[in-house]
Amino acid sequence: MSTKDSRDRVELLQGTLDLLILRTLLRGPVHGHAIAKAIEMDSDDVLQVEQGSLYPALHRLIKRAWIAAEEGTSENNRRAKFYRLTAEGRRQLAVETRKWDKLAGAIARILRPSEQEG
Amino acid sequence: MRRRKRMLEELERDIRDHIERETEDNLARGMSPQQARLAAMRQFGNVTRVKEETRDVWGFVWLEQLLQDSRFALRRLRKSPAFTIVAILTLALGIGASTSIFSVVNTVLLGHLPYKDPGRLAMIWGANTRRGINQMPISPGDFFEWKQKNTAFADIAPSYDSQVTLTGEGNPLFLFGYAFSANYFSILGLSPELGRTFTSEEDRPGAPKVVVLSDKLWRTTFRADPGILGKAVTLNGEPYTVIGVMPTAFDFPTKVQVWIPIALPQSAAADYQHRYIRVMGRLKPGVSTDQARAQMTALALQIAAEQPATDAGNSVNIKPLRKQLAGDVQTPLLVLLGAVGFVLLIACANVASLLLARATARYKEIAACAALGASHARLLRQFLTESFLLSLAGGALGIAFALSCTKFLVSIFPNDIANLSIPHVESIPVNLPVLFFALFATLLTGLLFGVLPAMQSARANAADVLKESSRGASAGTRSARLRRVFVVAQIALSLVLLTGAGLFIESFERAARGSLGFQPDHVLGMEVFLAANHYPPNQPDKQRAFVRDVLERMKSLPGVVSVGAASTLPLTGFWGETDFFVEGRPTPKPGETPNADNRFITPGYFSTLRVPLVSGRDFTAADREGGRRVVIVDETLARHFLGGRPLGKRLNLGTPEKPEWWDIIGVAANVKAFGLERPDLPTIYRPYGQHPWPLLAFALRTAGDPSALIHVAEQTVWDVDRDQPIFRVLPVSTLAFQSVALRRVSTWLLAGFAALAVVLAAIGVYGVMAYSVARRTHEIGTRMALGAQPKDVLQLVLGEGARLTVLGIVIGLFAALALTRLMAGFLFGVGPSDPFTFATVVVVLTFVALAACYIPAHRAMRIDPMVALKYE
Repeated sequence: MSTKDSRDRVELLQGTLDLLILRTLLRGPVHGHAIAKAIEMDSDDVLQVEQGSLYPALHRLIKRAWIAAEEGTSENNRRAKFYRLTAEGRRQLAVETRKWDKLAGAIARILRPSEQEG
Repeated sequence: MRRRKRMLEELERDIRDHIERETEDNLARGMSPQQARLAAMRQFGNVTRVKEETRDVWGFVWLEQLLQDSRFALRRLRKSPAFTIVAILTLALGIGASTSIFSVVNTVLLGHLPYKDPGRLAMIWGANTRRGINQMPISPGDFFEWKQKNTAFADIAPSYDSQVTLTGEGNPLFLFGYAFSANYFSILGLSPELGRTFTSEEDRPGAPKVVVLSDKLWRTTFRADPGILGKAVTLNGEPYTVIGVMPTAFDFPTKVQVWIPIALPQSAAADYQHRYIRVMGRLKPGVSTDQARAQMTALALQIAAEQPATDAGNSVNIKPLRKQLAGDVQTPLLVLLGAVGFVLLIACANVASLLLARATARYKEIAACAALGASHARLLRQFLTESFLLSLAGGALGIAFALSCTKFLVSIFPNDIANLSIPHVESIPVNLPVLFFALFATLLTGLLFGVLPAMQSARANAADVLKESSRGASAGTRSARLRRVFVVAQIALSLVLLTGAGLFIESFERAARGSLGFQPDHVLGMEVFLAANHYPPNQPDKQRAFVRDVLERMKSLPGVVSVGAASTLPLTGFWGETDFFVEGRPTPKPGETPNADNRFITPGYFSTLRVPLVSGRDFTAADREGGRRVVIVDETLARHFLGGRPLGKRLNLGTPEKPEWWDIIGVAANVKAFGLERPDLPTIYRPYGQHPWPLLAFALRTAGDPSALIHVAEQTVWDVDRDQPIFRVLPVSTLAFQSVALRRVSTWLLAGFAALAVVLAAIGVYGVMAYSVARRTHEIGTRMALGAQPKDVLQLVLGEGARLTVLGIVIGLFAALALTRLMAGFLFGVGPSDPFTFATVVVVLTFVALAACYIPAHRAMRIDPMVALKYE
């Protein structure tokens, strides 16, 4: 069961979160907790993702076969589930990044028209 | 299932690990263990939600939720057993009744026909609108022209009915036979189960005589003899070779046991006079029944122009095979189906009302669910699941009801009515199509009664959990309004049903009360057929002697009051007709010749059946061969053709060129020869002695129970002629009873449904009024405290009930006026808008509805203002 407002919040971030996860995995297989940490760090703490929302996103990506999951051990010899990019995922990352850039650029142009008009 | 469990466990483990790690990080940052854990969990978010959303991604959720909803629903239903039982029973009644009637419809109207592509088969009848006949046989001349010149049918085949006597296999048997052409079987597309059907060589005059038997005949009379093919049997005194046996499914025409080749000679093509041929045709692909009708009518007109003496005024009536077979039972059956559908709707309304009431009672509980985060959709699903569980239980029980109901329906099915075309029904199976119908009805009812209450309940406002006085005031109002709508609908539907039932009852009363024109009680009827080989038409003395002997012996039987004989008894479905000309009238134009029912009777027939003689005298033994030719006419003929004073006038029963004059010596009262609902045809009676006829029926008036004399009567006939088969012997009152059987059964069933509907509607009214009173207890207490008298309260409550009733009745009246029109064809003696019936129904329903309101109103009157004011 979910109340209305939080559903909205998640939906807003859904596509973006997927993209961020894919990007994080570009560097190599990581486990769930590390992905959350990485996103925080890489964004200089701007993005405070509710860590739990990672998991539905991860499973969505698994369902689409853009990432795959494996059992493994982490640094301190703890078991953990590691996620890695698949070839398809790599391709999708490029596509989604391009789309995001386009979107960001368009929004930026609208927000700062003075720069156009110069 | 297991995989999902495993995935869930893994997810939980992953989440645990994640939080562990975050906790460790927090510890490293210097938080206390408690703080570290708390911070980690907060950072993670709502674990339950995460699990749910992940499971959403997996997509199993709907199944899980369905199971969960079902479990909850079952638990809730178990907790309120009274409600659950009432709801399930109500639904079972509605679904069971509907399924039963549908299974009859399925068997009778939609039943599997064993022919190839039966939708393309049709009977092609002659018709004569001037004479009011829409289904008559045609002449061989007509047939040959049709065969040659028609364009709508791929093939047509002639047939005629031909009674045969089978001898040499035990008791002589009288059988219904049918003469078919060789292509008749191929048009029908049905193969014999043994042997073969006729070839066109065998379908010629003079060809070796062959016969095809029915499965029933083979199994009973011939004891399923495996060597039946090639066996010689004696039909009408002549040897026929059995070449085939038709399967049981082939019951066309009904009750026919033997088929012989029709062998129409080419010379018959010139005979336009004698009409005895019945035609079956297969439509060409792509040709519709209407097109065929138009084409054949044009052809008939052409023939009428070429043969004015015989065919003037004739046209064509095409009856698709299914319609032919279902015939007279279609309308009442469909009315019953509609009626039972109404009952189901009313039952649904009741259950819906119950659900609404229940939801209102549990409002706080539902609001709590909403507050805990249940979404609107989820609640809706929950309630719909509950409704569907109820309807599935009701449906299952309903199918069980239907199984026993259909057995009952078979036992009352009006088989064997001589004058109506009704398919013979031996069993009404609850088979796959019927089960599908039951399933469909179940799902539909679940939806119907579930949707509105579910939508209503799901609209619970979460904030209402906290409100003190909230029995869900606003939701309760909405719910109450809905229930009032249901009650109005129930009253309207009941009114329509009651009106239909009332019209049926009226029709039945009139049909049953109608005077038959004779007294059927204490009369035994026995029909025989004098086969031509034993009683050749050119030796009428043999027939006269037979009749005389039998009558004498029967008269002296103990217990017999009087006897008589006639060519046919009334109500047996046998009849004959003849043209006649009135003396002194101008010769009528071809096609307008007066026509009368033709019967031959012995003296004593009228007195045995107690047919009153209006004027003149009965035949006596003196009116015999060689004597003066005398006839007795009935009142209809006297009135229409002889100006009411027929005695002494003469009728020409020959032709205008070669007249045969018969004196009218008496007028008999009208006898309903064809059944109570058929109009009276003018009838001419002639002494049997002057014109022996192969069809013969004896009537014996008995002092006691006529069926006690059956064996004795049969033996009397066999004492005179050992080889004479007796076609049928039964009390004439049975015939009379059977002739209204269809009407009787449909009336009883419809009345039963209407009564059920009224009871259900009354329960609905009662429920709504009781609820309304309960809700307004506070208000009523206030009124009483302010000085209202008990009778004012009564008026208040009854007034509300009356308003609903009136609204329901008005709507129902409009609906009834529109719908009863559809049953007009089946009504007898009463119109579809009969004001008396409508008025009676309105009064009855008003009374019932107000009576249902009375109990809650009475309770309202007794409300103690002190208690009521404290009541919330």
